[in-house]
Amino acid sequence: MVSFRQHLGELLRYRGLIKNLVARDLKARYKNSFLGFAWSLVNPLMMMSVFTLVFGILMRNDIPNFPVFVLIGLLPWNLTVGSVMGSMGSIVGNGNLIKKVYFPREILPISLVFSNVVNFLLASIILGLMLIFFQISVSPLALYFPLVLLIHIIFLLGLALFLSSINVFFRDTQVIMEVLVLAWMFMTPVFYNIEDLTSNFSRVMYIINPMASIISTYRVILLYDAAPAWDFLARTTATSVAVFVLGYWFFLKHAPTFGEEV
Amino acid sequence: MVLFENVSKRFILRHERHRSFQEAFVNKWKHRDRSNEEFWALRDVSFTVGESGTFGLVGENGSGKSTALKLITRIINPTSGNVKVEGRIAALLELGAGFHQDLSGRENIFLNGSILGMTGKEMRARLDEIVEFSELERFIDTPVKHYSSGMYARLGFAVAISSDPDLLVIDEVLSVGDEAFQRKCADKIREIKDRGKSIILVSHNLQTLRDLCDEAVWLDAGVERAKGPSHEVVDKYLEWANIKNKTRLEGAQSHSQSGLEETHRWGTREVELTAVEFVDAEGRPGSVFDTGDSMLVRMHYRARQRVEKPVFGIAIHRIDNLLINGPNTKTSDYDIDWVEGEGVVQYLVPSLPLLEGTYRLSAAIYDHSCLHPYDHHDRMYMFTVQPRTVKERNGFLHIPCQWCIEPKSAVHEGRAPTSNR
Repeated sequence: MVSFRQHLGELLRYRGLIKNLVARDLKARYKNSFLGFAWSLVNPLMMMSVFTLVFGILMRNDIPNFPVFVLIGLLPWNLTVGSVMGSMGSIVGNGNLIKKVYFPREILPISLVFSNVVNFLLASIILGLMLIFFQISVSPLALYFPLVLLIHIIFLLGLALFLSSINVFFRDTQVIMEVLVLAWMFMTPVFYNIEDLTSNFSRVMYIINPMASIISTYRVILLYDAAPAWDFLARTTATSVAVFVLGYWFFLKHAPTFGEEV
Repeated sequence: MVLFENVSKRFILRHERHRSFQEAFVNKWKHRDRSNEEFWALRDVSFTVGESGTFGLVGENGSGKSTALKLITRIINPTSGNVKVEGRIAALLELGAGFHQDLSGRENIFLNGSILGMTGKEMRARLDEIVEFSELERFIDTPVKHYSSGMYARLGFAVAISSDPDLLVIDEVLSVGDEAFQRKCADKIREIKDRGKSIILVSHNLQTLRDLCDEAVWLDAGVERAKGPSHEVVDKYLEWANIKNKTRLEGAQSHSQSGLEETHRWGTREVELTAVEFVDAEGRPGSVFDTGDSMLVRMHYRARQRVEKPVFGIAIHRIDNLLINGPNTKTSDYDIDWVEGEGVVQYLVPSLPLLEGTYRLSAAIYDHSCLHPYDHHDRMYMFTVQPRTVKERNGFLHIPCQWCIEPKSAVHEGRAPTSNR
């Protein structure tokens, strides 16, 4: 894996570019809208209200602090959707750049994921406010948060690298993913408790859907004051790393032709 | 340092690209991939650019020059062969590639700089220099979408050039901005050259190439035609291009003169122009001339009856219909008493003063008052002037002249006046 290491080294030299691309993304996102940065707070707040209305009030359930419960599912889920859907355009949409300048191509999907992460962290302010508002005390176990986020990011990077490159060759990836992401959301415990499903089904879900375990873990440490189960966390980590390595491998295999394919 | 070793590059031209799963599956299923066609943009090309060398690429459009530049800058990879580049590259392939429209000039300097591989520290150190060079002090905090194309290019050039490259790759970008800025760019490039960095240059301005480059390669349809000292390569290329051009122009012009009769010919035809032909300096028929050559126009006439005191004339127009001259036998005091039957009137220019370009010629026969046309062929004949021997480029006329310098101070070393024909 010499080339793998070379690429990581090159990536390190270009970290300034990642930073600048993230900054570009965020600035461009907020520059021309009236509410600007406030949108990243208002948007999850509104979605939380809709979900609470539908699944908390119209269809009764007995989950306590349901708005917070939904928000903890919603924010990581938005991060995932933003990264997955955005990554597909990250190579194709920057054809002008790719055809004119050399730089490590993986920087584009990577910086896209990071700009979504920054957005996620900013939106987490609203989560903090909600925890205070609902008088939910957060235990020191919340310090696991960066670790869970790291696993989440590694998983997203792998997906983004894979999707951004396959979309160069098959443009219908985008359309297919729109449907898949919708199905994926229903398969992920964003607005329900995975334990409420019949037990066999929830086990299968944990195994095949890393997002199910990641979101459950966020809830465990923030809402239920429990430490994440180690074997469980280890399995999710392994899945994420595997997705990352495969995604990166696939990306590097095809990146040399981007200059002529895009 | 650049090492280009037996490099070939193949592109697959897909007339119908299967960019969707469905087509990919269908094609796999039926074992066909009918739409693919190979295209070799470069075939077995080798050259080396040493440290502190300036190297030029010459060739027509589509000869593979840009492909070579893209290989050097790692935008694409070779199909076979080796491309090795040492040191930092700054590529001026397109100025301001990667600028974000909504961000200010200052923000874009940092963004573009990091795309070119500079660190934030380097950028901060050079910010003032970049702003000053681009002459955009007042607009640096304005979003670049409000910039004019010239401002855009200036900023792009300033960022690219400030990256302190070991190798500068330039693709025809010097044709941007006003003349003062172009000169500034050229000076900057010379300065980089003098600092002992390597430069690779593609330009259609062969004079620039000849002056700036030490060595060059001439590519034709992806194959090396010549390699070596730049002036030799440029001369070989020019010779070839001129011959090719001549053949093409003559082929085209023999076709183009028939359809014009309806709209461009009028007169009562007591005496007719039956043919108009050009004869070049070597006495061969042909409508391509070099500046300074002799040009002969032969007007064949046929008079059905005796016509008294006809006036023969011609007129030369630039391609945009600007009238350049319009002499006739009357204004030249060459009186023709009468014509009957067939004959030829010749118009000879001993030394053609026109510069490079395409021109149209009218030929006409009028009565003595010059009011009544017998036969007028309005701009029906085209001829072309090529710049083979003359270096003059501006305008369309070569006016013979002399230059002379008369220094006021005694220190100045005198210089003999030189004449230009």
